[in-house]
Amino acid sequence: MRHRHLVPGALCACVFLLAGCSLSPLANRTAAFSSATNIVVNNSENAYRAAVRLNDEAQVSMLVARYDSAQPMDPHSLKHLIDPQGLETRTQVLNGLRTYARTLADVSSGVSSAKLDDAAKSAGADLRKLGDAISASTPVGIDITPQEANATSTALKALGDFLASQKVKSSVPKVVHDMDPNVDAICNLLLSDIAILRDQAGRDYEQILAQQDSFIRHAGTSLSATERRAEIQKLPKILANKQATDDMLAGLADSIKQLALTHHALAAAATSKDAPSLEARIADLRASGERLADFYLSLPLK
Amino acid sequence: MPPQKSAKTLTAVPTPAATAPPDASTPATLASPDTIAAYRALYDTLGRAYWEASDINAKDTIQGARDAIYDILTDLNIAQLQANTALFLALIPRVRQTNVALGKIKDDIGSITKNINTASSVIASIAKIVSIVGKI
Repeated sequence: MRHRHLVPGALCACVFLLAGCSLSPLANRTAAFSSATNIVVNNSENAYRAAVRLNDEAQVSMLVARYDSAQPMDPHSLKHLIDPQGLETRTQVLNGLRTYARTLADVSSGVSSAKLDDAAKSAGADLRKLGDAISASTPVGIDITPQEANATSTALKALGDFLASQKVKSSVPKVVHDMDPNVDAICNLLLSDIAILRDQAGRDYEQILAQQDSFIRHAGTSLSATERRAEIQKLPKILANKQATDDMLAGLADSIKQLALTHHALAAAATSKDAPSLEARIADLRASGERLADFYLSLPLK
Repeated sequence: MPPQKSAKTLTAVPTPAATAPPDASTPATLASPDTIAAYRALYDTLGRAYWEASDINAKDTIQGARDAIYDILTDLNIAQLQANTALFLALIPRVRQTNVALGKIKDDIGSITKNINTASSVIASIAKIVSIVGKI
């Protein structure tokens, strides 16, 4: 009988050995990377929308200014800074990046799935029922105790964890490594876009500012003193928004640079358990993303 | 915390002024970096002139010229963004391919759970048969 008491102990030893193969550092890192990527993707999408909206407003402002001139603008000539196809393409790329980061996190955390826990528990319980059935139906006395059934469940869970972690260990580093040049290319393109948006936004605000000034001067005495005062007060607000938008786009450019660097570090860390620089990079990326997170939608254009 | 140095650094990001003309409809001379820089400088100079002018007619004349330069620079930026759209489009299949590979790994991990479920259902079936046989 003594050997039967050794079974749960042996199983527990296996569990500890197998659990030692867990990839929880990778799971934690990919989850943090996914979360930070999500913030950068949201900020980028908001930046595109804000830049297109600002340029639309600058064009409408020009339409109004030229309305009574010798060369009025045809409203049909108004066009978006980025056409719908261009926005859709960027959205697809950003969503693809978000899906990549999230799936990476899902796969890396596959070692602790609830489904695996349930399956292992179920297997232990069924094993106990099998023992009871054999014991009741045959002269062979098989008695599987609850402790032994639990140990079996735990061992099966550990085996599942081990197999999943081996799969992650053998596959994920290659995927992250192969994706690194693509993340680099996406980040470079986003940076190029943001350089253009910064350049354009600066002039869009300058146009809105000059047209607001022109409107006040041409309106002359047709504005009441109070109305005139309110219109003049808009001038410094436009300039403040110009500066805020430029600061925000500069911050987004920094976030994107950090995203690329963080992915390089993640690719390096996928093959190493010791990655202190990666933890610092993820923290920096998340912090810079969060600073910008609510900024875009709060920007008044007028 | 400042970003730490990495062995791999980002490649230089092309600025609108530094990149080749993206659109066949954009005249090459207009899209050259020097020309764009000159237009930007002229736009800024006219801006200063606008705010320094005291006469409303002079302001209108200056702003009219500024509007024309604004249109040119905006068209060049739109063309550059369109060129970037083509580059983004080229990246979509590569991102999809990676996501498909990750999805397959996810499925493989899911099948480990299914295998344990299968083992569990086999044990349950055997137990059922044994208990039925025992009653016969």
